[in-house]
Amino acid sequence: MEIRFTAAEESFRAEARAWLETNMPRTSRPEIADLAARRAYDMGWQRRMYDAGWAGINWPKEYGGRGASLMEQIIWYEEYARVGAPDVTTGFVGLKHAGPTLIACGTEAQKSYHLPRILRGDIVWCQGFSEPNAGSDLANLQCRAIIDGDDLVITGQKIWTSFGHIAEVQELLVRTDPDAPKHKGITWVICPMGVPGIDIRPIKTLAGNSDFCEVFYDNVRIPLANVVGKLNDGWRVAMATLSFERGTAFMSEQVRMAHRMDELIAVARRVPGPNGHERAIDDDEIARRLAMARAEVEAMRSMTYRSLSLAARTGMPGAEASMIRLFFSELIQRIDVLAMDILGADAITSFSADGASRNEWGERYLTGLSQTIGGGTKEIQRNIIGERVLGLPR
Amino acid sequence: MDLTLSEEQEAVRDAIRDVLRERQPTERVRAVMADEPGVDVDLWRAAAELGWFGLALPEAAGGAGYGVPEAMLLFTALGRAVTPGPWMGTVLAAQALADATSERDVLDRLLAGRYRVAVVDDPDDRLGSGARLDGRAQPVFDGGAADGLLVLGTNRTRLIDSGATGVHIETGHGIDPTRRLSTVTFSGASARDLPVDATTIRLRGTLLAAAESAGVAERAVEMSVEYGKVREQFGKPIGSFQAIKHRCADMAVRAEVARSVVTYAAVALQDGEADAAVHVHIAKALASNAALQNTTDNIQNHGGMGYTWESDAHLYLKRARTLEHCFGSRTAHLDALAAPWRTAS
Repeated sequence: MEIRFTAAEESFRAEARAWLETNMPRTSRPEIADLAARRAYDMGWQRRMYDAGWAGINWPKEYGGRGASLMEQIIWYEEYARVGAPDVTTGFVGLKHAGPTLIACGTEAQKSYHLPRILRGDIVWCQGFSEPNAGSDLANLQCRAIIDGDDLVITGQKIWTSFGHIAEVQELLVRTDPDAPKHKGITWVICPMGVPGIDIRPIKTLAGNSDFCEVFYDNVRIPLANVVGKLNDGWRVAMATLSFERGTAFMSEQVRMAHRMDELIAVARRVPGPNGHERAIDDDEIARRLAMARAEVEAMRSMTYRSLSLAARTGMPGAEASMIRLFFSELIQRIDVLAMDILGADAITSFSADGASRNEWGERYLTGLSQTIGGGTKEIQRNIIGERVLGLPR
Repeated sequence: MDLTLSEEQEAVRDAIRDVLRERQPTERVRAVMADEPGVDVDLWRAAAELGWFGLALPEAAGGAGYGVPEAMLLFTALGRAVTPGPWMGTVLAAQALADATSERDVLDRLLAGRYRVAVVDDPDDRLGSGARLDGRAQPVFDGGAADGLLVLGTNRTRLIDSGATGVHIETGHGIDPTRRLSTVTFSGASARDLPVDATTIRLRGTLLAAAESAGVAERAVEMSVEYGKVREQFGKPIGSFQAIKHRCADMAVRAEVARSVVTYAAVALQDGEADAAVHVHIAKALASNAALQNTTDNIQNHGGMGYTWESDAHLYLKRARTLEHCFGSRTAHLDALAAPWRTAS
């Protein structure tokens, strides 16, 4: 066991830090309401990282990645959060979902076409998994694809597609065999969003923004060459996608969370506490809740490193990754609630007429409510832990 | 960075677990706890032969040459088995005696299983800051089964024989039937100074108590999962119901949290990292939390059976309760973490 980093990792860290400090964007990020501007900002920053060799740290070199280890990828995220560089939110699906899935399951042609474009920030990906009747029961999806010559012809509906209205490409799950058992008739395809027959309608969230959409497909034609994995083998491919989401995609979050905790502690030293005359930090209950949250963030870090150490042996995120995912989503919500309690009445002020918060803690509190829903609800995560990790019966 | 056990560490862990599985099933724990002095003398002798008391001691001092992580593995295993006896004091005393050349004879007897030690934790020097001890300490775990007392003051580490003049030990029962609780009264007792700072030993003891708690938390998950697979109601195993399954998932997460922070803190302590104490506070707070919550949930998962004396579930809950008060409660450790934030700005 070892909690220190190797000399090579430390020098990688120093190099990453120096580059980020010099090159990270200094202008503030456009509001989420102005999606086109947000996209241009995100993709411009992604391109800058790519040009300097900092995109896809652990992706293979031949597809534009750096070819480094998963540990170096995490070190990069640590430095990234340390300097406060902006998240490439609109790139999330491409960088954290579709990219890793293509690396694991894609054809050579799919990898060499798409991976460099994701890393360069040329294209935005979105996700088309959930449907109105296929939420937690994802395998119940009904969006239909019929084979016609060299094409798939798709008709149906998807929902909760983040950034659907600014994306060029979608990772899409369709039903290609309605007669097979529900897990056996699904296919994972790459769907270009600009083709005829696609209709995209934004959905306004409780946080006042409209970054996700419903998508309607009316006889949309996609070449069969866009199938990732085999026809009717999409469930397995989707599980690989979700294992990346549950595993590696959230490993970087512990760093950002540690950062947020430090900010919150600083706030608690500044703002008045519940009794109105002492500081918030002077209140025992607030101090202990902060200490507990800080301890749990540290636990998140230890769990992440333990999981990474195990993944380094096996190559894939392990069962403990689903525990990290669940722990993370509930911890971040506890921190958001704690922030609201520390800020007191200030936390509920400065909202705009459309319901969006102009206060960063208020925005986090509201958007954070999705943490235990998106990517599998906390109930589904507990089923996964209960059944696949502990072996309890279905 | 690697928080997984090496092959050798896995072998150490498995060897300890195998011995405890064979020699310390809960039927045996129950027999030991019902009898005096509340220590399994056969297991104690075997532990001495296997070198458990000196796992973290240098070979020159008669130890196995391992470190804090291996001692952590021992205490996690002891927690899993709710093993009775003054393991904590004995292992800590071995550490404190390692550099005391004049006490070599005591160390040899300790390592041979012939000198058991209980801890008297006195961080505020209420018993005195010198070699002379006066006053009362309680609860001292398994003081009645100990041949010596390790008295940890603010800074000084002292050892005194249980039978020495001015030492009076009264032993009774507490919430945990696997652990005797003693009240130790010193009246002008004269202790020997050991050449190690008490904060070092206390920190190690805190980490080992956290490790034991992590073992308790881990075993509680296994018990609930085993029961959830076989106990049927409404024609199905109860583990198929989300009310039980989800509670088991939460227990598993807490056990994983405890295991991760305890492991990290053990390595930080071993390496002498500057922030090791912070990691030990975190480990104790979270592992104690995991042990208390998991053992409570485990009783609920066992239903009516969980409420019986016959079920082992209560032994784990009660061990978790006593561990909470071994080297500081969750609240004490959380307060220690928050203390630097509460200074005047």
